[in-house]
Amino acid sequence: MKKIDEPRLRDIVGERNIKTDPSDLYIYGSDSSVHHAMPWAVVKPETILQVQRIMKYANEELIPVIARGGGSGMCGQTVPVQGGIILDMKGMNKILEINLEDVYCRVEPGVIDDDLNLALKQYGVFYPPTPASSRIATIGGEIANNASGVRSVKYGATRDAVLGMKVVLPDGELVSLGAHTRVEASGYQLHKLMVGSEGTLGVVVEAILSFVPIPEFRCMGVANFDSLNDAGHAIGSIMASGAIPSMLELVDSVAIKAVNKTMDLGLKEVAAALIFEADGMVKEAVDYEINKMKKICEKHNGQDIHASYDPKEREKIFMGRKKLFPALSKYDDNLASTALADDMAVPYSKMAEMAGKIHEIARENNIVMTAYGHCGSGCMHTKILMDTKRKDQWDSAKKAITQVYEYVRSVNGTTSAEHGIGLSKAESFKIEKADSLGLLTSIKKALDPNNILNPGKLMQAPENWITATNLRYSVNS
Amino acid sequence: MENITKKFKHLEKWQGTLASCIRCGYCYEHCPMFKHTGWESDAPRAKIITAFGLLSGQVEASESAADKLFSCFYCKRCEAACSSGVPLTQIFTDAKKDLVEMGLKGPGTTSITTLNCARCLICVGACPHEARFYDGNAIATDPAKCQACGICLEVCPARAAKIENNFGTGRDELIEKASAFLNTHKASKAIIFACNWSYYPGLMASVLPESETKEKNYEILVNMCGGRLDPQLLMAPFLHNAWGIMAAVCPDGECQHEGNLKAKKIIKTLCNTLKSIDINPERVRLVQIPAGDKTLFQAEIDTFVDRLNKLGPIR
Ligand SMILES: Cc1cc2nc3c(=O)[nH]c(=O)nc-3n(C[C@H](O)[C@H](O)[C@H](O)COP(=O)(O)OP(=O)(O)OC[C@H]3O[C@@H](n4cnc5c(N)ncnc54)[C@H](O)[C@@H]3O)c2cc1C
Repeated sequence: MKKIDEPRLRDIVGERNIKTDPSDLYIYGSDSSVHHAMPWAVVKPETILQVQRIMKYANEELIPVIARGGGSGMCGQTVPVQGGIILDMKGMNKILEINLEDVYCRVEPGVIDDDLNLALKQYGVFYPPTPASSRIATIGGEIANNASGVRSVKYGATRDAVLGMKVVLPDGELVSLGAHTRVEASGYQLHKLMVGSEGTLGVVVEAILSFVPIPEFRCMGVANFDSLNDAGHAIGSIMASGAIPSMLELVDSVAIKAVNKTMDLGLKEVAAALIFEADGMVKEAVDYEINKMKKICEKHNGQDIHASYDPKEREKIFMGRKKLFPALSKYDDNLASTALADDMAVPYSKMAEMAGKIHEIARENNIVMTAYGHCGSGCMHTKILMDTKRKDQWDSAKKAITQVYEYVRSVNGTTSAEHGIGLSKAESFKIEKADSLGLLTSIKKALDPNNILNPGKLMQAPENWITATNLRYSVNS
Repeated sequence: MENITKKFKHLEKWQGTLASCIRCGYCYEHCPMFKHTGWESDAPRAKIITAFGLLSGQVEASESAADKLFSCFYCKRCEAACSSGVPLTQIFTDAKKDLVEMGLKGPGTTSITTLNCARCLICVGACPHEARFYDGNAIATDPAKCQACGICLEVCPARAAKIENNFGTGRDELIEKASAFLNTHKASKAIIFACNWSYYPGLMASVLPESETKEKNYEILVNMCGGRLDPQLLMAPFLHNAWGIMAAVCPDGECQHEGNLKAKKIIKTLCNTLKSIDINPERVRLVQIPAGDKTLFQAEIDTFVDRLNKLGPIR
């Protein structure tokens, strides 16, 4: 561990914006992933200048710097594998401008997604990429992860909503990337390069985001299925039919059971359910889309199909989905829900097969896995439910994950749809991107020659995620 | 590791539960302490991480680690919202019991007794959690039992009961916040004191552009429990030209500390005082809001502000 020049950091961010006590550092050593590692200091900058000065210092002293938003990343993106300084970006939490005339808003990176949407709501507009974790995820973290959510099937991911940004580079230089306009063809789209870069290329200190009108009508429907296969085929057919859902979510039996256990929503415990939504300014248009989706579900043996415009009914269905991941921990009192192999994407035509495959692999390895996700955008989540004390369960999980990723790559899917790579998905990522790893490394080198920004992640991450860091569980040997 | 677990004999039973917290952080938005400091280490998730660290021996049982577990207002909003079903405050309490046995006791948010205590025992009788007692020498607090509701502070005639770390909810801090708002917002009219159960904050941790907030005519200040309202606090806004004040507390029978009953008495006395100096008592209003009922809370505020608009400023 390198010695941190504490007085210098105190001088930059002020006495109240730094933590170095081991009990604080321990807390900042983890996120929503399975990993844990100790940072050397946590600082909470409040201005761009402070970020610049921290970066300059770290670059001179070759100290790793890890930007952190809500710390809700699921693959260890903010876990300081090589130690270093955590930059807690929640100190930069101002919504700077809501420009209704030019249809953009300008925010600091620590603004919470739900807060932004609350501020936008009064003008009848919303920022659509919104992940399920929107109550804690920051705009900076969403950009760095290219987060997306239930409505991305219609409105796109973070990448599509980011018009421009200000970024502090590793040497402390401040650059403005992108534009305030909807379109831009002036050279390399460097702001888009920052999207999904997981804090390895620069620190986002301001973002210019687009927003869209809140539709007058939203209608949400549910269809139950006796087989996961039928549900999977229904997803493929809906997307191939030209229908425009504003949400198309799959939940399997494991997920339904878990949600029922925690939230008493009284969902019917079937093999799978699809939640679909259409929205728009004209009711006839929404009806048209909903009916189309209902018919397709029917064709694929969907049952109990119903849809509602009633906000209360919609909220009930939506809450269940939003709280699904935490709820999975309630599936069985002895099993914890771990964020592993959590968000692949596969082509629509492979959705059914993929969902089946997940359960087949789980059975083979004697663990419980669930299949759910924003399937309208091709995204399939799983969670591994296991007894985290048992080492053999970790070994089984590792085997299962390897098999899942092998399958995903074999059908031209991708390792991560929205949660990012961090540490725990690096192994598959490196195999998937084998022919562009050199290029990715050159880009990283060009921007961060001293390798101080979130080192040891993505293409630099250790091969074996189990041994990459301490696990944040007590595992009996 | 076994040795360490043995030291935490109360916490030990939660080992499995600590693993089932998926560390999503959904509890942040519910925690008044996190919202006040903005540090993750003050959030409920952090206390769970600390409890795990203590139990696994990865975190030393130091004063600063203990302080995290001794700092909680027991509003239990985090655990009501936790869809992993983690009973957070029970875990904190068990951790506190072990830490006390190791000689660590905060203070965190635990109430303490200062030297000017007259040992009148009023606080002992008033404490809804049986945390305060006479130890044969002085009035003491059992830190594992104290839930930082602050009732002892308000009943103590000598002002000898004290919570050192109020996380923005202490009387002086609230008076300062109220005056800062009233002095910087031209349109300001009212201060709304809300207990942490009746107010479900909208904006969690972000700051709106000034253009959005300069027309604001009321400010909501969280004072934890209605039982902590006192005349000095309630009168302070009037000294800075407030048109009125409203206090929101839990409905009858729903307050864990019976602070709502105390609030009722205090407000009644205050109304009488106002009447005696020719100020319309309608400028002070007490409302009961069931936990999390945002719509009712907003409706009550709107009605109150409407009423104040009719009454106009105090001349
Ligand atoms: C229960 C749960 C549900 C989730 N659901 C979804 C979902 O539906 N969709 C989805 O996409 N994700 C989801 N996630 C994952 C995660 O919440 C999102 O990816 C989110 O965008 C992370 O934001 P954060 O602020 O917590 O970032 P953090 O976890 O703090 O950081 C993530 C990455 O961003 C980098 N970073 C943070 N701020 C900056 C900055 N200012 N500049 C540069 N880099 C920065 C970090 O270095 C790190 O690499 C979920 C997570 C949980 C726990």
